[in-house]
Amino acid sequence: MDIIKTGNLKKSYMLGKVEVKALNGVDVSIQKGEFVAIMGPSGCGKSTFLNMVGMLDIPTSGEIYVEGNDVTGMSSNKRAEYRLRHIGFIFQFFNLFNELTAIENIMFPMMLNRMPNYRKNAQELLNLVGLGDRIHHLPSELSGGQQQRVTIARSLANSPKILLADEPTGNLDTKSSKEIIELFRKLNLERGQTIVMVTHSQEIGEKADRIIHFRDGIIEK
Amino acid sequence: MSAVLFYARKDSEKNKRMFVFIIIAIALSTANIIIINGFMDGITDDFVEKTMETSSGHLNIYPDEQNRYIEGLGVKEQKLDTFDNVIAYSPRINAGGALSYKDKSKSIRILAVDPIKENRVTNILGKIDSGETLDVNDRNGVLISYRLADELKARVGDETVLVFEKGNTKVFRIKGIFRSGMALDTNTVILDFESAAEQLNLSNKASVILVRLSDIALTGQYKDTISRELGAIKVKEWKQEVESILSSTATFKEISSAINAIGLFASAVSVGVILYINILHRRRQIGIMKAVGMKDFQILSVYIIEAMIMGTIGIIAGDMLGYLGTKYLEAHPFSDPILGSLSPRFYTYILYDASLVTMATVILASTYPALMAGRMNIIKAIWE
Repeated sequence: MDIIKTGNLKKSYMLGKVEVKALNGVDVSIQKGEFVAIMGPSGCGKSTFLNMVGMLDIPTSGEIYVEGNDVTGMSSNKRAEYRLRHIGFIFQFFNLFNELTAIENIMFPMMLNRMPNYRKNAQELLNLVGLGDRIHHLPSELSGGQQQRVTIARSLANSPKILLADEPTGNLDTKSSKEIIELFRKLNLERGQTIVMVTHSQEIGEKADRIIHFRDGIIEK
Repeated sequence: MSAVLFYARKDSEKNKRMFVFIIIAIALSTANIIIINGFMDGITDDFVEKTMETSSGHLNIYPDEQNRYIEGLGVKEQKLDTFDNVIAYSPRINAGGALSYKDKSKSIRILAVDPIKENRVTNILGKIDSGETLDVNDRNGVLISYRLADELKARVGDETVLVFEKGNTKVFRIKGIFRSGMALDTNTVILDFESAAEQLNLSNKASVILVRLSDIALTGQYKDTISRELGAIKVKEWKQEVESILSSTATFKEISSAINAIGLFASAVSVGVILYINILHRRRQIGIMKAVGMKDFQILSVYIIEAMIMGTIGIIAGDMLGYLGTKYLEAHPFSDPILGSLSPRFYTYILYDASLVTMATVILASTYPALMAGRMNIIKAIWE
């Protein structure tokens, strides 16, 4: 079953008076439980695609279906609600809430979703990513790899259908990168988590089930 | 809502410096409103109290429009004696004249009172700066205002010539110099009622009768009764007498409101600018909030709630500062050449008003930055 399907997806920006076509008709289908890597050179539209699928941005034209539902016409509030319940984000620069501790960062989306037992669940997620002993640490007190693991735990807070990771290892050393990819693999295998990951690294990309190559806003192969 | 409150609290705790700065601005603004309004109320109250102390009874009886004097004073006094709640009254004569001392002469207002009756209604005769007050049947003594004494260079014990408006003249000895803190200080001389009546050929007449009731709340009821029983006369309540004072202090209140508005505006600008800068610095955090699924109005609520938290603490601090400041200035008043002293008064309503107005201003000031945060573009917020 397609969990994500896009049809002739286009996105263009105005850079001054010049129109930049970030996506120029992308058709992608991703199956439920798939671990997909999106690769390509800088500026090819990888992150733009991820933002569209994650409903952070609105396409210029085309369709996006998540679990068979057309999500392109959703209002801002509906998109926010959809992100909260069904999509988990992992960013290159971790993007944790600096004023919240590790456990609070994970609790926060659960609280927004009015989940019961959010503290207990957040603790379990921290244990899952191997940071059970760092619950009260602020992001500034954690290493890059640890911060990214907290981000992964946060992205899993509301048991999302899709995990979207934009260069999740781009800011990490080799050892931490390896740990993060192993964690992704574990989530994919043990929980059947659908993961769409943008990466520059061929080595990281090869850990996924499938690689989609982007070039100049279209799928190359 | 719990997530919004949770984040607002955490964000406030994180930005302690900003938090403290805004609280100080709010506190000073609130205290400013309390103290300035306290001063305005203090001045108004002083004027009203001094008027009541020196120039008005609870009810004042005047002649009707056609006459300058109340006729048949004795009969009217007898009727006043029959009212249960009339505990005292004092007839007065108001007239014009001139006062000469050595080679100087000044036009004056004559106020003639019966010391015994007057002391039961007002304490004008107790406002003595130097010398003594008038005695009963003190036919040759006079009290003059301190400003008149200054202008004539006259002192207690000096003899002066008083020319009454009908041309009669009489020599009086200055028995005392008074200071009322009211318009009486400009050019008034106070003398015995009988003496003035004799010089002005006013038998059984008075310009006004000040009436004191057992309870000031009875004025409305007694106004009509006295007017009806005493015949064709005009009766005014003390409130009507101080109306002119209240209307003139209303102008001062408008000025103080403008001062308060400027203070509040400055505070609002501080709150708005600091929140705006804070939000600009926290674009990425706002972007993350949106990315994890926070709705626009929830983000707006975070910053409005933060402003309300700061507003509440600032207002409580400002209320305390305003209360303590008012109490201090009440105990240590500014000296004033006319009123004697200027001090604020503390009333609970000022506290409520200041708190509400400040909170409304804080919320208003935080609305634009909060709206800006709520409407922020996620992509720009996270990646730019």
